Amino acid sequence: MDELEVLRVRDEVLQAMYWMHSEGISEQPTAVELSRFLAVPDTVLIAYLDRFVEDGLLERSGDARYVLSPGGLESGKRTFADEMADLTRPTHGECDADCWCHDSPEAAAECLHDRVGSSHSH
Amino acid sequence: MVPPIPTDLTTAQVLPKNFLRPCLLLLLREQPAHGYDLLERLRPLGFSRDDPGRLYRALRTLESDGLVRSVWEKSSTGPDRRMYEITRSGMEELHGAAKALMATDEVLGVFLSRYSEFVALEPRKRSRARTD
Repeated sequence: MDELEVLRVRDEVLQAMYWMHSEGISEQPTAVELSRFLAVPDTVLIAYLDRFVEDGLLERSGDARYVLSPGGLESGKRTFADEMADLTRPTHGECDADCWCHDSPEAAAECLHDRVGSSHSH
Repeated sequence: MVPPIPTDLTTAQVLPKNFLRPCLLLLLREQPAHGYDLLERLRPLGFSRDDPGRLYRALRTLESDGLVRSVWEKSSTGPDRRMYEITRSGMEELHGAAKALMATDEVLGVFLSRYSEFVALEPRKRSRARTD
């Protein structure tokens, strides 16, 4: 098992399980449910899930279900936010949610044109 | 051999490709929301609640594309949840998608109008075909 791939899958699984848990969708998904959720084959995923159990991030529950351990819960929550933090930070010159340029396609196009011309000032 | 035309298509199967993306942007333009709330509000737009993974993956993609951002909302009764909101870029994509859908709507109006010339449509669809 490629250790870099293990890290990538670990983040994907823990984040997805945290999201399912926090939204009240599923506390203890099976490997098949998780594989559907992440759109990956369950035959591939199950080896990783077993590895994460060994690492103490997941715990086995009844009926071949998996549940986040306290450490897995914390890790899933933390990496969920960290991953997107740099991507979604507002950029220089970004206007607010109530800006007039959100009112119509024409206004948005005009705003975009102005910003390209570096005169966006609202 | 030509395969038979399916007659039991669900609403989700006949929605435009990638329709979930503009729908999520629209819902988040209306108001910031949690994942579960979005799942509920997608139903009138033709989506089932049976595939929360699809919603999750779409939100992740929108977020990595910079069209949506999410922040933690503290909860006193349960786990902290992500609250999603639309970004400036998301608004621009929503406007573009709405324009494309308006063009599609015009074509559908023509289709239904011509179809209604030889097949009786339900009253609601008939009146729409006439106005288009």
